[in-house]
Amino acid sequence: MDDLEGRPNRRPSRSSIGGINKECMKRLFGLETEYGITVDGVEKMDVVEESMQLIRCYQQGDFIPLWDYELENPRKDVRGFEVDELLNDIDEKVHLQKDRKRKVPFKELKSDLIIYNGARFYNDHTHPEYSTGECLSLFELVAQDRAGERIVDVCAKRRTEMLSAGTVRMYKNNTDFEGHSYGCHENYLMSRSVPFDRIVKGLLPFFVTRQIFSGAGKMGVERGDKASIFQLSQRSEFFEVIASVDTMHKRPLVNTRDEPHANPDKYRRLHVIVGDSNMSEYITALKVGTAALVVELIERDVLPDITLKDPISALKNIARDQSYQWLVEIDRKSDRLIPAVEIQRAYLDLARRQFSGEDRETDWVLGAWQDVLDGLESNPMGLVGTVDWVTKKWLLDCFCESEGLDPEKPDDLVWLQSQDLEYHNVDREEGLYNLMESQGKMVRLLEDDEIARAMATPPSDTRAYFRGTCLEKFGSDVKSINWDRIVFSNNGKQRSVDLKDMVDLEKVKRYNEVLDRSETLDEFLNSL
Amino acid sequence: MIKDSVELERRTKRVGPKDTGPNDGDEGPSRPDVDRPDTQDLLKRMRRVDPNQARRYRQRTGE
Repeated sequence: MDDLEGRPNRRPSRSSIGGINKECMKRLFGLETEYGITVDGVEKMDVVEESMQLIRCYQQGDFIPLWDYELENPRKDVRGFEVDELLNDIDEKVHLQKDRKRKVPFKELKSDLIIYNGARFYNDHTHPEYSTGECLSLFELVAQDRAGERIVDVCAKRRTEMLSAGTVRMYKNNTDFEGHSYGCHENYLMSRSVPFDRIVKGLLPFFVTRQIFSGAGKMGVERGDKASIFQLSQRSEFFEVIASVDTMHKRPLVNTRDEPHANPDKYRRLHVIVGDSNMSEYITALKVGTAALVVELIERDVLPDITLKDPISALKNIARDQSYQWLVEIDRKSDRLIPAVEIQRAYLDLARRQFSGEDRETDWVLGAWQDVLDGLESNPMGLVGTVDWVTKKWLLDCFCESEGLDPEKPDDLVWLQSQDLEYHNVDREEGLYNLMESQGKMVRLLEDDEIARAMATPPSDTRAYFRGTCLEKFGSDVKSINWDRIVFSNNGKQRSVDLKDMVDLEKVKRYNEVLDRSETLDEFLNSL
Repeated sequence: MIKDSVELERRTKRVGPKDTGPNDGDEGPSRPDVDRPDTQDLLKRMRRVDPNQARRYRQRTGE
């Protein structure tokens, strides 16, 4: 079994710190992935307990709760108010009532771990969640995200060894096909000075149509009139409002949570919840890369003149459109329907004019964006091995034909949904995506050893390095930790290091250099 | 992360849609040209998937 503990000699050189790395995008971003969890071969399972135990399998020693919850407030809305509570659906309200009777303390239940690679790994609402450390490089982010899959897989195998019966299975997907969704959230640091209305205006047409390449695909419809069709996206039918602070019920296209995890006078953290978990490295990079460029367009106030007539309906209709024309009604007098591909091209054209030649990763995004849109327009199924939904659909079509299945028959539909689920199984020998990958059928951006390295190595040029390395060097003195603060115990006193401004490259360079050269905690804290 | 130009070249290689062969005349997208042996391996694995797995897979709502 793989070793999960970090090793100092795995750390790479940090040659790009401080200066502008011309090969990387210059936007700070990260991914949070909630995993589905089950235990095969047992009658009943407690998902809360299993999720907690799975996280604990990461480390060999006793669990020491370090995560600092003081700085978290998901109820604060960027529009200038705070809600009393976040919304939950009826099922979840019942579950939460039962949860209140549990005797496990909150911090034990959450089981927050911080990994040497700068990631947060914890039990979030019964789902093991892996949040990558902050990245400046798109390809580094893909490596950190995939490292999360490997870590989750290793923990599942360890947990299985501990169980008297059953096998723990972990899925990087977003649904149980019965109306319960869980997320893959994206985070983009952006300027606080941008008016919120402009953010919404700029994001809506992009997010609604992005699923044509970023959707992970789903067999069946879960909400409203159920149908046995294949949808582009796992999550699209779960969105009900344009903008709100909620994430679990009445989900918004634009989430208004105001938790910048950086200097709130200068920055917002755009917290994106309208996206699927992707297995394809290429699509993970394209999903984040294109969104990062759109955020930049919004900051520059260079946006296409497109307003959707009904963004919520359009999101659902695109996901369900079996013709692959993906026509969208826009808010103009002509009532013209325009293809989603055309809307994406409007963003791409502006992005190309503004950002072409800025850095190598941006140029990769611009090229890949065009290639995928061209492919979707001319022959979507030609993108097998690149786009998740296309690859999954091809697999299901092959299986349907081979076994003579009829999706209109309930049992056959469930069998196809079982195959859908297996596409997302993170087990490297069992998962269908992983089998495709091992056969060389998926486009890769990374070598396997780069993913293995990212399991214990932080991105070198952000505060993720600072967080992970502080734990590695001075872990026994760390009292609490969060994205933007670390508290140390030093000579009987508590010393807090504020990381809110450590999104500035010069500060990152200085802090990380101090950390590297410091032999003792005293020397380190006194040099900051 | 990006160590040398050879590696960067690999990563920045553009990936377009694959050749798909002639359309069989049906409406909609044509079938991709994937080697038969690999397809057989995939189908073999897919036949091992429990047909009722999705029915048993129940999660709680997340974010």
